[in-house]
Amino acid sequence: MFEVVDHEKLTHKVHRLRISAPHVARKAQPGQFVILILDEKGERVPFTISDWDRQAGTVDFVFLEVGRTTERMARLQKGDTLAHFVGPLGKPAEIDKFGHVVCVVSGYGLAGMVPIIKRLKEKGNRITTIMQAADNESLYNQEALKQFSDHLLIGVGGAGGGPATALKPLEDMLKNLDHEPMDRITAMASICLMRFIAEATRNMGIKTTVHMAPVMVDGTGMCGACRLAHADGTQFACVHGPEFDAHKIKAWDTLMARRCTYADDSIMQPGFKCDNCSQW
Amino acid sequence: MEMPKQAPCERKHNFDEVATGYTLEMALQESRRCIQCKKRNCVEGCPVNIQIPDFISRMQKNDLAGAARVLKKYTSLPGICGRVCPQESQCESKCTLNKKGVPVAIGRLERFLADWERSQGGAAIPDLTPSTGKKVAVVGSGPSGLTVAADLALLGHQVDMFEALHVAGGVLMYGIPEFRLPKAIVQGEVEYVKKLGVNLKLDYVIGINASMDELLESYDAIFLGTGAGLPWFLDIPGENFNNVYSANEFLTRCNLMKAYRYPEYATPIKMGRRVAVVGGGNVAMDSARCAVRLGAEKVMVIYRRSRAEMPARLEEMENAEEEGVEFHFLVAPSAMIGDGRKNVCGMECIRMELGEPDASGRRRPVPVKGSEYVVETDTVVVSLGTSPNPLIASTTPDLQVSKKGTIVVDENGKSSKARVWAGGDIISGGATVISAMGEARIAATAIHKYLVNIDQ
Repeated sequence: MFEVVDHEKLTHKVHRLRISAPHVARKAQPGQFVILILDEKGERVPFTISDWDRQAGTVDFVFLEVGRTTERMARLQKGDTLAHFVGPLGKPAEIDKFGHVVCVVSGYGLAGMVPIIKRLKEKGNRITTIMQAADNESLYNQEALKQFSDHLLIGVGGAGGGPATALKPLEDMLKNLDHEPMDRITAMASICLMRFIAEATRNMGIKTTVHMAPVMVDGTGMCGACRLAHADGTQFACVHGPEFDAHKIKAWDTLMARRCTYADDSIMQPGFKCDNCSQW
Repeated sequence: MEMPKQAPCERKHNFDEVATGYTLEMALQESRRCIQCKKRNCVEGCPVNIQIPDFISRMQKNDLAGAARVLKKYTSLPGICGRVCPQESQCESKCTLNKKGVPVAIGRLERFLADWERSQGGAAIPDLTPSTGKKVAVVGSGPSGLTVAADLALLGHQVDMFEALHVAGGVLMYGIPEFRLPKAIVQGEVEYVKKLGVNLKLDYVIGINASMDELLESYDAIFLGTGAGLPWFLDIPGENFNNVYSANEFLTRCNLMKAYRYPEYATPIKMGRRVAVVGGGNVAMDSARCAVRLGAEKVMVIYRRSRAEMPARLEEMENAEEEGVEFHFLVAPSAMIGDGRKNVCGMECIRMELGEPDASGRRRPVPVKGSEYVVETDTVVVSLGTSPNPLIASTTPDLQVSKKGTIVVDENGKSSKARVWAGGDIISGGATVISAMGEARIAATAIHKYLVNIDQ
């Protein structure tokens, strides 16, 4: 059993949980994820690690209340326990001295990207972070993002704003490359936004990576639910990723459809529409 | 003697065990067919050398407790072996009676004894050997891991067994369906192994939470029984459309996560009405029969060779056919067809004919030009086989692996790395539960020999 050490509500639908799991905390690296099961009848659900404390033996992650399991998680209180908690899974994010790195975040990425940005900053990169949310009420974690970023830009898409609004700050930067070159873009955001970014930079010679969060079952390379078509052959997000070169991913439309396979059952709320995606 | 079974029309609608097992009378009557040969051919046919005539002779004398004790000397997992071993090609094929007629139903007797012992309030715990003070880490809790753990615990060694998933049992839990191997039977035998003193650590991934070298700091020896869990795909267009599953995903959702009891269990499984299972092994049969029970109207098995080359057990094929599964032989998929919303709605196939024998000794299937046609289907389960999970090999540079990703071992299961042994699918690339147990038995013997000699 794994104890809930802390539970903080960050926005009306976003929560942060802190779980006591020393063996996970001991090995956690930026960009990795955990899988939890609420009780013996629960499903296995992956979450990106947003922070850890090796000494205290705790692991943090952020989740959006979007379906059956996450709605139950929203009611967890300090002292409650999770039946199962396994990780850190997946490969750590690629960290190096790249130069000027632009980080694009939305949804859980506002938290999940923080350890990556922190480590990139420690390596001496200059960081521009673009955070995106549907409205001002959905923004969270600005302070943490600001702390490790040289510039923090915010793209708030009003009703029906869609990807165009989110892309605006990035598009402006891409037009201004002569004055302010970019060495790398990395995104942890909704799959639609990551697809737009991949297309926007495809022919510009800027290395672009995306942190994928597809449907998973075991999360250890066994089931292939999280597979994606890749220039190097079929890849599994759980063991080959979750970070991928955005320009090597093929068939984004199939990936987006796969992301929503179980939407009507567990991911989406009743009355859900794709342009109003819960991850957005 | 035949074992009673649920009628096909009935069992199609439930996940309860198909074969309901012998009654006491049936078991005793069947046991009396054994003629207690001097030359024990049946024992030679058993990968773990169960002294079959010995347990049967006790049954013949109505001594069920004694029979169970003999059986347990050779296997800690009789309820599992009695159900999933291919006895027809092992012990029973060597039975003297098989030469003239029907062999003694050894597997069914084994199963009966295991179930009888359970009904008596669980297996008796044998006297444990005093502790040797030696520690062994067993990685993976499937058939080979459970066997090594039990064998070494009985010999007095301290065994910790690590499992990456949230329950122990490996393929016995996530792969083989409830109606062939009830999960309560598996957990009963896992509990028995734990009662022998084995510590089970769930949700713990070796290669991540601890490296092999870290483990070797705390343990005298390691056994790797991590199986072959990485599914193969067809590598054809459209394979990632929605409702195209690997057999591993389909079976894991259904068996391990109990999606057939959704929403009581939280894991869903999305399946249409016309299911095509690609492949011809036991896993393909299991997938097809799960699809029947999940309510599919039509279930097709698509296999590129002919019936004679099918690797599945005859009994499983017969069960599947009785349940209405259709077999399409000499057919191979060439592309998945999407419905415009990235859901699979058909599968383009090509007819095959058998050519010259290939490396496996079976005649190689060759496409017939111009024979393409479309199979209408809305759910595809790809069941082509698996390869070893590369996690441990990739994090253990001094562990020698083959091109196929299997761990290279000698005849005692010893790997290239000091103090590390391996067995099961991780060395074979994919075989049966009982062959994994046989390899585990050999490795356990070698590990024991190593451990008792350390101090000398």
